[in-house]
Amino acid sequence: MMYERRDIPEIADEYVLGLIGASEAAEIEAEMERDAELRAAVAASRERFLPLDTTVEPAAANEALWRKIEVNLPPQAGTPSSIQFPPVNDNQTNGWRVAALSAIAASVMLAVGLVFSLTRTAEPLVIAVLVNEAGEVQAVVEDFGNENARIRLLADIEVPTDKTMQVWTLPSREMGPISLGLIDGVHSARLEGPALPSPRDSQLYEITLEQAGGSPTGRPTGPILAKGLAQRPR
Amino acid sequence: MLVDVRVNDLDKALAACAKGDRMALRSIYDREAGRLIALAERIVQRRELAEEVVQEAFIRIWTHAHQYSPDRGSAHGWIYAIVRNRALNLLRDGKREYTVEDVEALRESEQVDEIMATWQKLDRNSRLYECLAALDETKRRGILMAYVGGYSHGEIAGRLRIPLGTAKSWIRRALSALRGCMA
Repeated sequence: MMYERRDIPEIADEYVLGLIGASEAAEIEAEMERDAELRAAVAASRERFLPLDTTVEPAAANEALWRKIEVNLPPQAGTPSSIQFPPVNDNQTNGWRVAALSAIAASVMLAVGLVFSLTRTAEPLVIAVLVNEAGEVQAVVEDFGNENARIRLLADIEVPTDKTMQVWTLPSREMGPISLGLIDGVHSARLEGPALPSPRDSQLYEITLEQAGGSPTGRPTGPILAKGLAQRPR
Repeated sequence: MLVDVRVNDLDKALAACAKGDRMALRSIYDREAGRLIALAERIVQRRELAEEVVQEAFIRIWTHAHQYSPDRGSAHGWIYAIVRNRALNLLRDGKREYTVEDVEALRESEQVDEIMATWQKLDRNSRLYECLAALDETKRRGILMAYVGGYSHGEIAGRLRIPLGTAKSWIRRALSALRGCMA
């Protein structure tokens, strides 16, 4: 977008008042990222007119509206709910955001997970419900924290004969993803992983599709079949 | 200094949102949602649409919180601008489910009065109040119709019964006068 420097205050005002069209507004927004003077002019214009908004008689805000907002919040980049793996694993796609959004479905399944965990004698420290990219529940991991974890497959996952499913967890960003073991065939399995820090809330668990015998690098290399965050049984 | 403290709180809340703290977004909602719904409703003219605007705006506040920095103005202004922009976009998309007659009738009667009342509600000692007062009636009306009601140049020209080009140049001059007055 071309403009004279001297026109910046005027452009900023017209943008703030909403007097320009949608496409031009988008151009100005893009330009604001580059042009500090334009950014400052828009900021100054907003501050000039802001009292017209802050003196408005408030409407009654309700809890239902908040709930609609809350269920639609995507996870923030850099928070435990959207941990990115190191670059060795370049199978991250935006679709996982969608998967993460299906937390509701996951929590329903978590309840199922809790029910079966309660009927067992040993108590898992955490349970993670793993969902695929479409948000469908695929498996539940129970981590007992004593180098033992159990994975229960809750869907039929197709595994080519020369491939295997490998279960991973991310105890911390520094440690990176650690293998808990392979799932032979498509059965539920008891996993005996390495000694790890005690599993915590929101720890990431995932299943990737790896070559038979497991990932050659010791890090996930194949596509993610399902993943989810741990929760402590309450 | 109450105002400064509150502005700082919003700053902190945005920083916490960027880190994934939902309670911080909730605190912004608790404090500002009522006013934000009302300001969106002034533009889109219907409560359900205003709530839709605020819902989308809060999700945008959440996803863009990391972009906020003081060189974009106050956190207060930044949040309000997101709501204003969503409301204006809704108008531009023509999503209002009114018939043309409804819009005309509503805009003619209540909305213009409401818009002019906005100026009257400003603190009488504020620069904005004084500087708007210094404009002549028609120019003041034009500015308020644009900012408060989200009117386009064309709508303003129609309401003020002046040619489009005249409306544009009046508003430009009025904005320039306001900048000079408030500097």
